[in-house]
Amino acid sequence: MQWNIPSLEELEHYIWRCTACGTCRVAYDFGPPATCGEICPSGSEFGFEGYMASKGKIAFARGILDGTLDLADPEFLEAIYKCTICAGCQSQCQLDHKPYIPEIFEAMRRKAVESGVGPLPLQKNLLQSMKSYNNPYQGPRRLRTDWTRPFKKAKKPIKNLNKEPAEIMFFVGCTGAFNKQAQGIPQATASIFQKLGLDFGILGESEVCCGSTAMRVGDAEEFKRVAEHNLNLFRQMADEKGVKTIITSCAGCYRAIKKDYCLSADYDKLMDGIEVIHTADYLHRLWQEGKLPLQNAVEGTFTYHDPCHTGRHLNKFIIDEDGSELWPGAYLELSEEDCLYDQPRELLAAIPGVEVVEMKRVRANSYCCGGGGGVMTGFGDWATKNAGKRISEGVEAGASDMVSICPFCHYNLNAGAKSIGSAMKLYDLTELIDRALPEK
Amino acid sequence: MTAEAAKQLDPILEELRSIVGESNASAAKHIRYAYSYDMSFVDPKMPDYVVMATEVEQIQEIMRFANQEKIPVVPYTAGTNIGGLCIPERGGILLDLKRMNKIIDIDPLDGVAVIEPGVSHAKLADALFPLGLRFGWPVGPPSASVSSCAISHGIGGLNARYGLQSQEITSMEVVLPTGELVRVGSCAIQKDAWHSTLPMPKLDGLFKGWLGTTGVVTKLGVNVHPAPPLLKIFTVSCETVEDMYSYMLNLSNYEICDDITAVSWWLSQVPIPYPYKPKPDDAAEWNSYATTFSWTEKERDARQEIWEKVVAEEQAKGTSVQVTHYPEEALRGRTQLPSQVVGSTKNYCKQGGAGISWPGTFTPAKKWAPVYTRWKDILIGRNLSPSVRMSMYRGVHYGMLRAMIPFNKQSKEETENARQAIIECLRVDLDEGGIPYKPPVDFAKEINKRADQGYLMLLKRVKEMLDPNDIMNPGKLGI
Repeated sequence: MQWNIPSLEELEHYIWRCTACGTCRVAYDFGPPATCGEICPSGSEFGFEGYMASKGKIAFARGILDGTLDLADPEFLEAIYKCTICAGCQSQCQLDHKPYIPEIFEAMRRKAVESGVGPLPLQKNLLQSMKSYNNPYQGPRRLRTDWTRPFKKAKKPIKNLNKEPAEIMFFVGCTGAFNKQAQGIPQATASIFQKLGLDFGILGESEVCCGSTAMRVGDAEEFKRVAEHNLNLFRQMADEKGVKTIITSCAGCYRAIKKDYCLSADYDKLMDGIEVIHTADYLHRLWQEGKLPLQNAVEGTFTYHDPCHTGRHLNKFIIDEDGSELWPGAYLELSEEDCLYDQPRELLAAIPGVEVVEMKRVRANSYCCGGGGGVMTGFGDWATKNAGKRISEGVEAGASDMVSICPFCHYNLNAGAKSIGSAMKLYDLTELIDRALPEK
Repeated sequence: MTAEAAKQLDPILEELRSIVGESNASAAKHIRYAYSYDMSFVDPKMPDYVVMATEVEQIQEIMRFANQEKIPVVPYTAGTNIGGLCIPERGGILLDLKRMNKIIDIDPLDGVAVIEPGVSHAKLADALFPLGLRFGWPVGPPSASVSSCAISHGIGGLNARYGLQSQEITSMEVVLPTGELVRVGSCAIQKDAWHSTLPMPKLDGLFKGWLGTTGVVTKLGVNVHPAPPLLKIFTVSCETVEDMYSYMLNLSNYEICDDITAVSWWLSQVPIPYPYKPKPDDAAEWNSYATTFSWTEKERDARQEIWEKVVAEEQAKGTSVQVTHYPEEALRGRTQLPSQVVGSTKNYCKQGGAGISWPGTFTPAKKWAPVYTRWKDILIGRNLSPSVRMSMYRGVHYGMLRAMIPFNKQSKEETENARQAIIECLRVDLDEGGIPYKPPVDFAKEINKRADQGYLMLLKRVKEMLDPNDIMNPGKLGI
């Protein structure tokens, strides 16, 4: 399968579009009222300019390309992994390299992996696990369906797509399946689907990691291995089992399938007739059609945390490819039509008893939980500390609890709350919707 | 490695770490590299160490140590200047102040904000807005430092009313190159009084316009002003720089505007065309915006009446002034400050690629037209856009004259072409009586060539008094 995953050298032109102006360093909105806040978890934690937003990391990229900086230097190698790839800096940038900012960061990591020095040791364990178990959690395949036990016990089995046809494939994702603290998310999702009477199934033990984590830490080969498997499987499931829609409650899986898989030359052919949608978006659609009866009250004051992977990572950048408006390759504007900013908020607000308050940094300026980009694996303490900052922001906003739509954010923000002694809890939106839906 | 072994390996680094903590001092190449360049044409140079201070006492200790060991120290806040001001000429310690970013106090009654050097314009704007206060935001990135802009005589959106940012400074706390902590202005007499540098001797001049060569400003008082709710923007165009000068001169006499600025067609484009392209025949060469804020509609209408009178007078003189629409994105960017659009971002740099620098000057308004005419020849001759701005300052007929010059920094030839053009432009302006601000070293040399010998002698004497071992940002003054 042909893939269009650029090397650092292929991105050099864009690297030189960065002026080092530093606009990327601050989440700023003129308003009125004017608002600003820190946007870069890495810059916030480590401070030195090289860690600061895209300005700093592009300095690293320049240093690699001009031969000044050597990825074999362990301290430098660690530095290029001290980034959550949250794209908060990308939201601020106004220049032509804007669409490529996360790609430039990941291209540095790919170069490190290709040259045999990257990723970091703990991340190598994760990649080895993917090779051995097809998931990054060192979880044997048989444990992948542990989360379904309550359904079996309640005699509400979930279809296995390998055995039965279904129109909807619920792509569970490794975090929801293997991380016990996040297992409530697939359970709530499946419960909702059953309450709504949807025709859905799962891949069960044969589900294979989406590859998001491998891509984020720079192992393009491992990403391609699982992505090719999944793309072919999706086609097969569509052809043989009648799958028309792939729904996932995992922001990382959603980003990978929706965006990273598009780098395959065969994407359009293999995904023809298959819609990929996040659970929140799907439920929002049903809600708009009057098919999501949110009847039970869920009392509480909640604030919504925008995951990077369902928010700004889904920006569509309009680029002047042929130079007809400005010049070839000029960044023109962005479209947020794919970003899931409004859908989860509207659903949350529609739940009886729920009061919604907003944090200061939201939507495109949302402050990353700190868990992405391999950071939770490579720098667990920092990831938790950063999540604690985000929890504090929720508390300052007057919320009792926080809601999101990403198992990674779910796990990390709960850990962050615990680390700062906060009683705030992070709920997945599906958990609240499941409570609000009456039994069938 | 033991602490003793580490100290023997790099005793300077270990000393710095003992002052600011292990994680706040580094000699790693990748850390230093990120401080080696900025947007300008100035050649990259790395510091030997980078240190992040969080407390004034740490800065004092660093300065005492550096002074004792005669190690250069380069103060740094956001690095957003376009003159290579924070690029170390002689290596040494780069003192990163971004973590000293507290807004210590905002006193609406005194109209003063007291800030640390790492406070950005975005942060101060965020804090002032709920209080109904404002400041003269410049057209730099929102992340740029308020303090660095002010002590470097930066400009802002209230120039025509209140003057330069440096004229808004009310008091200072400074660590001298020898480590002593001093205060100037009212806070020197009563520690909580930050209201004014007057009526005492204006010792704040020892630290303003010196390009970080005389001390590290650790606290700064600046005036902040009530924000009237009603904004009116007067926009006109002219065919010639002479006609635009005439209009601006006339309008400035009435002192009704916060900002009176004109930009050439090339600068009104977002982005500035790079390389040069001719302006369309049907486009005016100059566009002007003048902002005026009012408390009531009646006041706004009165201001409008005055402006209409000025336009009528200029038209009666036979000038080409026309009431017109200013290009929308540029106008929004220049009047909704701080802005992510103007400044060193989309407006200036987007087409050039990585590089931006300038001849940025304070020049008598009567010289704007002849200087612009020469600049235009020089810049177009080098295939660069004559993207020039003229702004009137408070109640007088002089102001900022500058050309923002983007260039492709990936190309050494194109970078050098821009540098040569900028230096040529600077020479023209200096010979007409203009003075560059935030000047790179190349400019300083040109300034000093023309300077009165007594001035240079005094400059050196003051510098030696404050910095006997010449450790503070050495080489930047060209003396």
